Amino acid sequence: MNNIWGDMSQYDPVTWHWVIAVYLFLAGLSAGAVMVALALRWAKGEQFESPIIKAAALVAPLAICLGMLCLVFDLTKPFHFWLILINYNLSSVMSIGVIALLLYIPLTFAYALLVFRAPLANWPLLGGVAEALLGWRKPLEVLLFGLGIVVGAYTGFLISAMNVYPMLNTAILPALFLVSGISAGAAANALVALIWFKTDSHSAEISGLHRVELPVVGIEMLFLLMLFSALYFKGGAAASALASLTTGQWAVVFWALVVGVGFGIPLLSRLLPAELRHGKGVTVLAACASLTGVLALRHFILYAGQSYIS
Amino acid sequence: MIKLDRRAFLKGAGASGAACAFSGGLPGSIAAMGAEPLKGSATAVNSMCEMCSTRCPISARVVDGKTVFIEGNKAAKSFGGKVCARGGAGHSLLYDPQRIVKPLKRVGERGEGKWQEISWEQAYAEIAEKMQQIKQQHGAESVVFSSKSGSEHGYVFDLAKAYGSPNTFTHFSLCPGAYGVAAQVMFGTKVKRDLGNSKYIINFGHNLYEGINMSETRGLMKAQMEKSAKLVVFDPRFSVVASKADEWYPVKPGSDIAIALALNHVLIADNLYDKAFVERYVAGFEQFAAQMRDYTPEWAASLTDVSAKDIRRIAHELAKAAPHAVVDFGHRNTFTPEEFELRRAIYAANVLIGNFERKGGIYAGKKAKTYNKFAGADVAPSLAKPGVKIPSPTAERIDTYDKQFSLVASMGGVYQSILDTFETGKPYPIHGWIMARTNPMQTMTDRARIEKVLKGLDLVVACDLYISETAAYADYMLPESTYLERDEEIADKSGKNPAYYVRQQVVEVIGDTKPAWQIFRELGIKLGYQDYYPWDDIHTLQLAQVHKDYALLKRIKTEGYVSFGKPLMLREPKMVADFTAEFATAIAADDDGSYGSHLKFKTPSGKIELYSDTVEALVAGRGNIVFRDVTLKQPDELYFIQGKVAVHTNGATHNVPMLANLMSDNAVWIHPKTAAARGIADGDKIRLTSSAGSEEGKALVTKGIRPDTVFAYMGFGSKNRELTRATGKGIHCGNLLPHQTAPISGMCVHTTGVKLEKA
Amino acid sequence: MNKRYVMVHDENKCIGCQACNVACRTENDVPDGVARLQVRVEGPFGEMPNLHYSYARISCQQCEDAACIKVCPTGAAYRNDDGIITINKDKCVGCQYCVAACTYKVRFMNPVTRVADKCNFCTDTRLKRGEQPACVTVCPTNALVFGDANDASSEVAQIIATRATYRDKVHLGAEPRVYRIPAKKGGIAS
Repeated sequence: MNNIWGDMSQYDPVTWHWVIAVYLFLAGLSAGAVMVALALRWAKGEQFESPIIKAAALVAPLAICLGMLCLVFDLTKPFHFWLILINYNLSSVMSIGVIALLLYIPLTFAYALLVFRAPLANWPLLGGVAEALLGWRKPLEVLLFGLGIVVGAYTGFLISAMNVYPMLNTAILPALFLVSGISAGAAANALVALIWFKTDSHSAEISGLHRVELPVVGIEMLFLLMLFSALYFKGGAAASALASLTTGQWAVVFWALVVGVGFGIPLLSRLLPAELRHGKGVTVLAACASLTGVLALRHFILYAGQSYIS
Repeated sequence: MIKLDRRAFLKGAGASGAACAFSGGLPGSIAAMGAEPLKGSATAVNSMCEMCSTRCPISARVVDGKTVFIEGNKAAKSFGGKVCARGGAGHSLLYDPQRIVKPLKRVGERGEGKWQEISWEQAYAEIAEKMQQIKQQHGAESVVFSSKSGSEHGYVFDLAKAYGSPNTFTHFSLCPGAYGVAAQVMFGTKVKRDLGNSKYIINFGHNLYEGINMSETRGLMKAQMEKSAKLVVFDPRFSVVASKADEWYPVKPGSDIAIALALNHVLIADNLYDKAFVERYVAGFEQFAAQMRDYTPEWAASLTDVSAKDIRRIAHELAKAAPHAVVDFGHRNTFTPEEFELRRAIYAANVLIGNFERKGGIYAGKKAKTYNKFAGADVAPSLAKPGVKIPSPTAERIDTYDKQFSLVASMGGVYQSILDTFETGKPYPIHGWIMARTNPMQTMTDRARIEKVLKGLDLVVACDLYISETAAYADYMLPESTYLERDEEIADKSGKNPAYYVRQQVVEVIGDTKPAWQIFRELGIKLGYQDYYPWDDIHTLQLAQVHKDYALLKRIKTEGYVSFGKPLMLREPKMVADFTAEFATAIAADDDGSYGSHLKFKTPSGKIELYSDTVEALVAGRGNIVFRDVTLKQPDELYFIQGKVAVHTNGATHNVPMLANLMSDNAVWIHPKTAAARGIADGDKIRLTSSAGSEEGKALVTKGIRPDTVFAYMGFGSKNRELTRATGKGIHCGNLLPHQTAPISGMCVHTTGVKLEKA
Repeated sequence: MNKRYVMVHDENKCIGCQACNVACRTENDVPDGVARLQVRVEGPFGEMPNLHYSYARISCQQCEDAACIKVCPTGAAYRNDDGIITINKDKCVGCQYCVAACTYKVRFMNPVTRVADKCNFCTDTRLKRGEQPACVTVCPTNALVFGDANDASSEVAQIIATRATYRDKVHLGAEPRVYRIPAKKGGIAS
C-alpha cells in the first residue's frame, strides 16, 4: 500500500542527537575528573595543590558549563530554559538532575577558587572568597565528591528512565556511565596536568592515575558485557537491539572507537616498556584515546539505544 | 498560545513539497495577490462539498478566523454527517497560496507558463471578440465546450447553446459513462443500488473504500457490519475493498465480463433465476438466454483465472440471497473496450435475480413528480426550471459523426472525440475549446495528443481554481471561486424519496474570483445573449426554483438538506405499506402488497430489455449481450491498470497542500516475482513504456497485485510548471494510455499494455 | 474528575481513508510535516489470495501510567481535570524528553509553536464545546467511538465489555486508553 497518511519523519525514534551525547560526555567527564582527583588526594593525604587537583578544579566547572550550553541550545526554546529552573517534577530524572546540577556547578566553581587561591590572591573579591572557603575545604570536598557521583550517575539515569528503549532501559546504564565518566575524568586530568601544569609524565600523580585506569576499564568492559547479555537474555525487542553491535554505522563506532581506540590503545600502551609507556607522548595518546572512547560510547549508547524500540 | 497570523498561515500552507518555482511570483495567485484574513460564518453553514463529484452535503464553519472546519450535514442520513479526507481539506484549497484569484492572459507560447494578470472586463471582451471571430469564419459549432459535471456544466452548456455550438462534453465518457448508457438501454433510466440493505454483494472493482462516495461507502459498510452481508470482490489488485471482502479474486484485467456472463449462464442453466419477474418485466429473454448458453463457468475460468467451481458457487449464493442481493455495476471504467457489454451483463444478472425495486437490490430514483404520483398528492415540492428556453443548435455533434455514439450524446457526449475531430476535421474542423473545471490531460488518454490539439486551436479558455495541467495551455484562465465561497442553485438529491440540497457561501470571496454561474453569464451577456439570462443573481434563481415559496427556500437553506416523505421501493411490500399508511391519498397497493403493477420502463418495449433493437440498429450484432475477445496488451507487456485513492480526486486535488502532504507520489504496484525478474527492488526508480508514452516513477513491490499487472493510483505526475506540489511526482497515467474509444458507450479505455524496466 | 475517556478503533470498519487525519489537523491547527494522528495501512501480509492489511491508528494512547508525564521536568505534560493528558505550552521548554520517552512514539515537536504536541482527544477544542473529537466526528465508516469508560452506559464501556479488544504494547505497562477491535483476516468481523 502506498503511504497516504503523510510524513513519517517525526516518528524517527532517535529523538536526541549528538549534542546530547556531547552533553552526557561532558557532564560525566566533569564529575569523573572531580572524583578521581579527590580520591587520589585523599588516598595520598596530600596537603598541597597537586597538578591533578588543579587540573580537576579547572576541568570540572569548564566541562559542566560547556555541557550545560549544549543542553540549553538543544532545547527548542533555549531562551526559555529558566522555566526548567522554576518548575519541578520530582518524578522526572531531568528535574532531579537540575537540582543536582544547581548544587554541583557552584561547588565546582567554589572548589576552583579554593584551589587557585594563590594566583587569585591579588583579586580583591575572589581572593577573599577563596581564603574564606579554605576553612570549609573538607566538607566541600566530601559534598563535591558525593554530587560527582550523583551527576555522573544521573547522565545514565536520564536515558535509562525510558522503558521504550530496551538498550537504555537497564539498571546497569547509570553505573556504566559513572565508570566511563571516571575514566574520561582521569584522562582529562592527566592531559591538563601534563600540558597545562607541566607535570612530569613519570610523576607520582600520573602514575596514580595509571593505577586507576586498569580497574576502571575492566569494570567498564564488565558493565558493557552485562548490558549486552541482559539484552540477549531478555529476548524480543531487547535482543533485537543487539543487532546494533553487528550492523550499521553504530557497530563500526562501537568496535572501532569504543573498543579499539577507547579500550585498546590505553591497554596496549601498558604493554610497552616502562620507559616508553610513561613517556609524555604515550601518556597523552592514551588519554586522548580514552576520551575518544568515552565520547564514542556516549554516541553509541544514545543512537543505537534510541534506534531500537519495544 | 502562539497566534498564527495570516502570513504564518499561508507560509504553513505553502511550506510543503519542493521549493516553489513561482514562490510569490505565480501571477494571479494568492501568494502574488495577497489575501485578506479569512472572513466567514463562525456558526455552521450547511452546504455542498466539491472536492470530488459526489457533492456530499456538508456543514462548515470558520474557526478563529483561521481555518474552516468541515463535517458532513447530519440532516442527510445516508451520509451520516461524515466527510472524507478530501472534503475535510477544503480550506487548504481555499487558502492555497498557489490558487489563482485573478484572471490571467497567456503572454508566452501555449503551455510555456508565462501569464499576465488582467481584469475580468478585459478577459470577457477579448474572449467574446475571438469567439465572434471564430463563429463568423468557421461557425459556432467549431468551438467545443467541456465541463466537470455538476453545477458548472449547466452554465457552460447554456453558453454553448446560446452561442450555437452543439458540442458539449462532461467527463461522462472518461469515467462513469458505461453503466449510465447500459442502464438507459436496458431500463430506460439511470438506476441506483441499495447497498446498505444488501445481504450479498458481488463487486467488480468498485473500490468504494478508496474511491469514497460517502453514502454508498457507508451503505457497503452498513451491509457488511449490520446485515452480515457477504462481499465478493473481483479485482486484479488487493484494494482496500478487496481487503474487507469475504472473498477476493485477483481476476485477469479486462476479463470481468466473462465472470458476469458466466453468472448469468449459471442463473439460467441451473434454474436459479426469478421466472415470475422475468416473465412480467423483461423483454428479449429468449435471445439473451440462448446467447448465455455458451458462457459456462468453465469457459470463464480459462479467461479469468477464477475457478469454475467458485463462479458456480457464487452464482448459487447470489441466487439464494436474492432479491436482497446485488451485483454492483461499478463506477469508473477501467477494464475493457467491451465496457457496454460488461455493464449490461452485470445488470442482466441483477435482472435475473429480480432485485429491481427490492431492498438491497437496484432501483430507480424517485423524484418529486414520480413520488407525488404514487402519493396521490403534492407531498414533495417540485423544482421549477427557471430561465429562457435557448434554441438548440442545428449543427451535428462531432461525436455522433459515428452514429453508434448517439446514445451517449445526450448524456455527456464522447469527450475524447475532440481528439479524432481535430485530426480528421470530420464532420468539420474545430477551432476553439472552452472548458470549466476539467483536466483531460489527467483524466482522458494520450496526453501528447491533447497537447497537440490545445496547441493547434485558435482559442482555448479555461475556468478553474488552479492552472491545472490542461489550463496551462489556455489563452485565458478564468479563476472560479471555490465552493466555500459561492452560492448555487438548489440541487435535486432524490433517492428512494425526494430530497433537495443547496450549496451556500461559507467564507467571503478571496481575491478577484467569481462563481462559474456569474462568469459564464457575464461572458454570455458580453456576447450579446442577455435575453437568455433573465436572473441577475443566484438568489433570484433559487427563489424561482421553489416557485417563490420563501418558507421552503428558507428551510432548504437552513437545513441544507431536506428530504420529503418516506423511502419507497415499489416492489417492497413493507415500504409500500408504510407509504400508503403515511399518505391517505396514495395509490392502493397491488394484491401482493407491492406497487409492482405500476412498474414501467421507458424503453421502446416498456420492459427491461435484455436484448435491444435500438442498439442492434446502431451496430449490427450488438443488440444482444455478446462476448468479444479483445487484446489489451502484447504478450511481452504487463497490464497497466489504475484506480482511485482516498485522499485525492482524479486530476484535481494533487496540488491542494494538505492532500499533497498526505500523498504526492503514486509508486507503481509490482508483484515481487515481476520485480525480481527485472532486478527491481522496492523504492527503485522504474520506467513504464506503452504505445502512447513513457513514464518514470518509483516501484512499490507488493503481493497485492497480479504478477502480469502493474497498478498506479491516477492523477499524479502532472507536467505543467504551475502545480509545484504535484508536478513531476509519480507516474502520469494519461501519458501512458493510448486513445481508444469503446463501442456504443463511447468510453475511454483505461487498460493498456506496458513494458516495465528499472530506470 | 472520575472520567476515563477512551477511544475505540474498530479495525474492521476502518478503511484507512485519512478523514480523521485531515479533520484533526484542521481542528487542532497541526502544521504540515507533523501529525497528531495517522492511520497506517500496512501490508499486504499473507500469501495470495489470502492477503490482509493492517489498519493501525497512530496517535497518543492517553496512558494511565504515562511516561511523558513522568519524565517532563516542568510539568508541561500533565493530566487535566478530565483525566486527559495534554500540554501546557507555557511550561514547555522543548527538552524533548517526553518525545524520546513516549511509549508509543507519538509525541513530536510542533515546528510552529516549538513545544511538544500530540493528540489530546480535542479536549481544548471540541470537547470544550461539548462535541466529539474531530476524528470521531468525520470518520466515514464509524470506525471510531469515543466516550467515558467509567460511565457504564456509554457506548465505549459497552464495547469494551462485550467485544474482543486489544491495546498496543500492553507489556510495557503504560495502560493505554486506545482500544482496538482486531480485524478479521480476509473479511469483516461483525
